[in-house]
Amino acid sequence: MITFQNVDIKFGEFHAVKNLNLHIREGEFFTFLGPSGCGKTTTLRSLVGFIMPTSGQILLKDADITRLPIEKREIGMVFQSYALFPTMNVYENIAFGLRVKKFSKAEVDQKVKDIARKVDLKDDQLFKKVSELSGGQQQRVAIARALVLKPSILVLDEPLSNLDAKLRVQLRNELKQLQKKFGITTIYVTHDQEEALTLSDRIGVFNHGVLEQVGTPLEVYNQSQTEFVCNFIGDINRIDPRMVENSRLNDVVQPGNIAYIRNEKVSLLPLQGIDTVELKGKIADREFYGLYSKYVLEIAGGGRLKTIEIESRQVQHEVGDDVDIYLPVRDILQYPLKEGEA
Amino acid sequence: MNARNLSARLASVNPVSILLYGLIAWFVIAFLIYPNLNIYGEIFFKDGKFTLEAAEKLFSSERAMRSLYNSFILAFSLVITVNVVGITLVLISEYFDIKGAKFLRLGYFTTLIYSGVVLVSGYKFVYGEEGFMTKLLVQWFPSFNTTWFHGYWAVLFVMTFACTSNHFLFLSNAIRKIDFQTVEAARNMGASTWYILRRVVLPVLKPTIYALTILTFLTGLAATSAPLILGGKEFQTITPMILTFSKSMTSRDLAALLALILGVATLVLLTVMIRFERKGNFMSVSKVKSELVKQKIRSKFGNIAAHILAYGLFVLYIVPVVLIIIFSFTDAASISTATLNLNSFTLDNYIQVFSSMSAFKPYLVSILYAAAASVIVVALALAASRIVHKYKNKWALALEYALLIPWILPSTLIAIGLIVTFNTPKLMIGNTVLVGTIWMLLIAYVIIHIPFTLRMVKASFFSLDSNLEDAARNLGAKPFYTFRKVLLPIILPSTLAVLALNFNGILADYDVTVFLYHPLYQPLGIVIKNSTDAQALADTKALTLVYSVILMIMSSVTLYFVYGRNSRS
Repeated sequence: MITFQNVDIKFGEFHAVKNLNLHIREGEFFTFLGPSGCGKTTTLRSLVGFIMPTSGQILLKDADITRLPIEKREIGMVFQSYALFPTMNVYENIAFGLRVKKFSKAEVDQKVKDIARKVDLKDDQLFKKVSELSGGQQQRVAIARALVLKPSILVLDEPLSNLDAKLRVQLRNELKQLQKKFGITTIYVTHDQEEALTLSDRIGVFNHGVLEQVGTPLEVYNQSQTEFVCNFIGDINRIDPRMVENSRLNDVVQPGNIAYIRNEKVSLLPLQGIDTVELKGKIADREFYGLYSKYVLEIAGGGRLKTIEIESRQVQHEVGDDVDIYLPVRDILQYPLKEGEA
Repeated sequence: MNARNLSARLASVNPVSILLYGLIAWFVIAFLIYPNLNIYGEIFFKDGKFTLEAAEKLFSSERAMRSLYNSFILAFSLVITVNVVGITLVLISEYFDIKGAKFLRLGYFTTLIYSGVVLVSGYKFVYGEEGFMTKLLVQWFPSFNTTWFHGYWAVLFVMTFACTSNHFLFLSNAIRKIDFQTVEAARNMGASTWYILRRVVLPVLKPTIYALTILTFLTGLAATSAPLILGGKEFQTITPMILTFSKSMTSRDLAALLALILGVATLVLLTVMIRFERKGNFMSVSKVKSELVKQKIRSKFGNIAAHILAYGLFVLYIVPVVLIIIFSFTDAASISTATLNLNSFTLDNYIQVFSSMSAFKPYLVSILYAAAASVIVVALALAASRIVHKYKNKWALALEYALLIPWILPSTLIAIGLIVTFNTPKLMIGNTVLVGTIWMLLIAYVIIHIPFTLRMVKASFFSLDSNLEDAARNLGAKPFYTFRKVLLPIILPSTLAVLALNFNGILADYDVTVFLYHPLYQPLGIVIKNSTDAQALADTKALTLVYSVILMIMSSVTLYFVYGRNSRS
């Protein structure tokens, strides 16, 4: 469906996107994930046509659209601020693109009402000012405005970033349902890993202009291919095996590598039938959250680990208790030590 | 840039845009840069050779040197009197608990609805030789000198009250922003009302007061209508002198040099002001700001004295306005003798203004000039703001700076620059002479109002959500369609407000008009000034009062729509 081929984007001396190669499939919900300034929005804007790549090609259904004018790309966009036109009502906002394309009055009316119904906007809401709508309704208007032109792709640039946590979760669910309903290829930009994990079919993680990993949420979370990806997504423990003497960890982790393990994979109970590395430690801190407790463990020999134990597992330790720590070998990720750390 | 990029860029260039950019560039070069450079040539070069003849003429002209001296004396005196009166007004209406402060404020606001030549002629009408107040004073004190109201003191008196508008607008705003908890903290530590005012409140207002001081100094230096109407022969300042010199070809270089001195003084003072602004802004460190609560004056004597002062100032402010309005409804005999009786009231003056073409003509001329200039200047500012907002490159920056040139130059210098430049045919304006045509004044109005308009319109552009434009483009809209349908409707209210303020300002302008007006099409400012001459007919004076009242109404309506409604919302 969409292919980025050797795409480079530079702003003067600043190299925003470096040699990007990526293929996005038809009907897929694909997320560009990464911290601020990593190149995700720049990549999205180059696809929409706001930015021209310095080199490389962007293909849409095998056709080169790299230098195609924005209006001919047929890509609908939902902006971070929604960018609803404040001087127009809901109806006029949705009809804007249809009027630009010179549809007849009757066609405009029919298409606006059709799409409004599909995104659950009531008829009486169509003639309201956009400022009179709730956050959720505004999001639906922005989506309706983008979809009414029947684009082949829908792109969303951090549409939930300015909202409070509760509304974010609610709108995230609405967004997922709408995407399923329309079945449209969707590209979503966010710096929020939770949004990326819950919404996406696949995720592309960007760092300093480089696409570091592409994979399903499970792959990106459990089999992070780079140290940056494993650090950026979820909570994770970093263990330098050299600090843990006389342990099997030194056999499991190759010399010159650093080890990582997700917090929830660290167990305070033996794991039946699973190959584990055992460490000795002490409870340094415990926070009780009702459903689970968070522990900070001090490893004999140095270093600290964090773990989560669900209360139903009946693990009850107090600060200062000596404990055995079990690390499943299959869940230990390892990456080469950086220069200066080796 | 590779060939594909270049061809894509060339394909996206719009011929209408090129024409527009060309027009703006021509306007900037022909009217903003060239005349202001040409003025140096007029002063320092004769027949292609460098000369200091103009400077020698200036130093040997006693009148010219005297006018320079008078201007600086006036500027220094005004700094003191305007600050004393201005700060007092703001403290009365905003800081101290004075009974009836809201009502008093209406009186202090009157200088916002009539200013410049309208205000000066109004004061002369009230306090002049034949004025109502002078006659009243003669009745009370028969030996009172009826010619008291002229010269330095009269100019200082009128300008002191005329120049408090800026204090009222900016200092009131600054005092409202004071965090009241700082006042409470000072009181909690035992400080008295006056101590808090001196050590806590006034220091916070210091940057604003400095800025206002410099603005006042500049106003004093470039004073036009007050010294012209009230100064008499013994107190003439730079601008009236420039006006006199500019009328003769032989002394035009002298006019230009005096205007240049005014320009240099303005530039120096504005630089000082910017430095003060940078240095002296106090950032509030309050976590939660609380609104200022008006302070009771605890000393009984102090409280009574403050009330007397407040109401005394109110009377001074309101009397000229009230008398102008009342006398505009009286017949010519009553106006010329400054006496009131029931039989002298009539609507004839108003009927004449609206039924006689000759009486309405100054209004028509001014309205046409004001409308044309304010529409052109807003259109120019919109186009320039769009360029500055869109391109953000060195050319856009150069355009912005060029358009801000009139901000740092006194209007007299701009007027003289236009006169000395366009009194001979110039190729860049189609080999025509502009001086003596109706266009000269229109161009000057546009030039002078560009900086304010550009700053306001640019601010609205930059406050726009940049995603709106991207969204419209994403939905297929072309740049001009996006501008017309999306951006313009959003910035229209603030643009119209600027347009209204410009219209208002131009309507009764005198300071620029007097240099450049066409004798057959005299705008209101000129007609009002002429009616203050001793030989003016009573009928002319009557019409002037009507002009003044209508101008006040128009100003009030404009100010209400621009500021009143906004502040309420």
